[in-house]
Amino acid sequence: MTDMNAQNNSRVPGGFATDIATDLASGRAADLAEVYALNAVDDAERAAIEAYLASAPAAEHAAFDDRVRQARETLATSFTAEEEPPAGLLDRIMASLPARDLAAAPGVHPGQEPAAVPPVVARPVREPSGLSVTDDLGAARKRRDERRRPQGMRNWLVGVAAAAIIALGGVGVGAYVANQNDPLNQVLQAGDVKQATVNVAGGGTATVSLSTSRDAIVVKMNDVPAPPPGKVYQMWLIPKDGSAPVSQGLMDAEALSKPAVVKGVSTAAALGITVEPTGGSASPTTPAVAEAPLGA
Amino acid sequence: MNTVQVDRRPAGRIAVGHAPGASFPDPCSTAGTLCLKVMETPNAPNPEAAAPPGAPADVNRRLGGLLEQIARGDQTAFAEFYELTSRRVFGMARRVLIDVELSEDTTQEVFLQVWQNASKFNPDAGSPLAWLMTISHRRAVDKVRSSQSSTDREAKYGASSQDIDHDSVSDEVGSRLEAEAVVRCLETLTDTQQESVRLAYYGGLTYREVAEKLNAAVPTIKSRIRDGLIRLKTCLGVS
Repeated sequence: MTDMNAQNNSRVPGGFATDIATDLASGRAADLAEVYALNAVDDAERAAIEAYLASAPAAEHAAFDDRVRQARETLATSFTAEEEPPAGLLDRIMASLPARDLAAAPGVHPGQEPAAVPPVVARPVREPSGLSVTDDLGAARKRRDERRRPQGMRNWLVGVAAAAIIALGGVGVGAYVANQNDPLNQVLQAGDVKQATVNVAGGGTATVSLSTSRDAIVVKMNDVPAPPPGKVYQMWLIPKDGSAPVSQGLMDAEALSKPAVVKGVSTAAALGITVEPTGGSASPTTPAVAEAPLGA
Repeated sequence: MNTVQVDRRPAGRIAVGHAPGASFPDPCSTAGTLCLKVMETPNAPNPEAAAPPGAPADVNRRLGGLLEQIARGDQTAFAEFYELTSRRVFGMARRVLIDVELSEDTTQEVFLQVWQNASKFNPDAGSPLAWLMTISHRRAVDKVRSSQSSTDREAKYGASSQDIDHDSVSDEVGSRLEAEAVVRCLETLTDTQQESVRLAYYGGLTYREVAEKLNAAVPTIKSRIRDGLIRLKTCLGVS
């Protein structure tokens, strides 16, 4: 995978050029992963590497990401200088935390033990502006929010707990061996499939594989507990145009272990999952337990 | 199983695996600025070194749980996360930036970023500690490059390293076992690989600046960094 023989078998070992552009042009991008992870490149070089990767084959991109991840783990394990920060720094940081989350988290206060089962925390429909401590952090957050919250989700997806959208990355096509006619595999084997994993409130994660060319997603629940008696999980697509969520089917305890295909996702801004009474609901009646933006 | 104890007072420390304040012999106390060695350790590959260290997994599990709570706006979890990791973040910032105030600013920015981006943490993409230290290093490096010339950084790096060079031993996050594995594994690197990686990591230098400082060819430094980190990774069993 990343062993040195494999990575060097088609070229001269260690044959770096003096500049990053030449390294990239000569197919040595993956060999730059360690230098990149170490931040030993300047801003222009970092941008050049990222631009290259953005249009690189998925396998090359994945190989690079994997080596970066390993290098970062290695650095975090190996370079462990410690020094006591100035007294009172935590208090200053706490005092400067943007106010939105305080307002959004009733019942959670400093000094209080967190509840055994954390409450589902409502997200504000729109964050107050001007509360950022530093401009760049505030700007970055604003950009992120604009990217991640298309219109139409705001009023509905207020109950998402820890909906972590995970970096969308290429998925190795060869990982799935199966029947070409199976809709599931048509999505998973599509050349443009992207995958994200989000947390599900209550435990477990949901992995969403999106293929724009197939106009479909595959939803796979991982270690998600069975719904309470008399309840089911219900999947919804939240349209980009802000109209009401559209039911995409139910998952009971048995269906939970199987991947589900949801088609017609091109007009959807996000996938949402709620807990509903057995038989499902016409529209969501509870806050979402998971949310996956479908930034196609 | 290690117990994680949290003391929220300013002087609080987290004990993981052994008593806080237990001190290890500092192998670098009299050596030069790039000292990484422990004398009794042979440099042959050591089977134990390949075993994944035990304690960090526990710490990372705890940190991962805290990040989920932080993503929901839990300040108590945030405070505990800070107590568990702030010495690492500040310690690294001090190594890179030297200046106490800049290091404090950086630490503050890092933890604000943790607060704001906890929901973006992806356990599949790496451990919580690696995620945190990646954020921290990038911030520190950006700050040092925007505030100091590379010449200043080199000079300050050299001058400061002897004072606070005890990073081969961690007594907050990690364990003695892990620290020993790290020392053994660093030992498997060549001196020039160690030097290049450390200058980049703690000196905040680019590969080009490392090459200038060491009067070495640029491609050579890139190779040393790559090969050094891969060798370290392999020895530590990072997969």
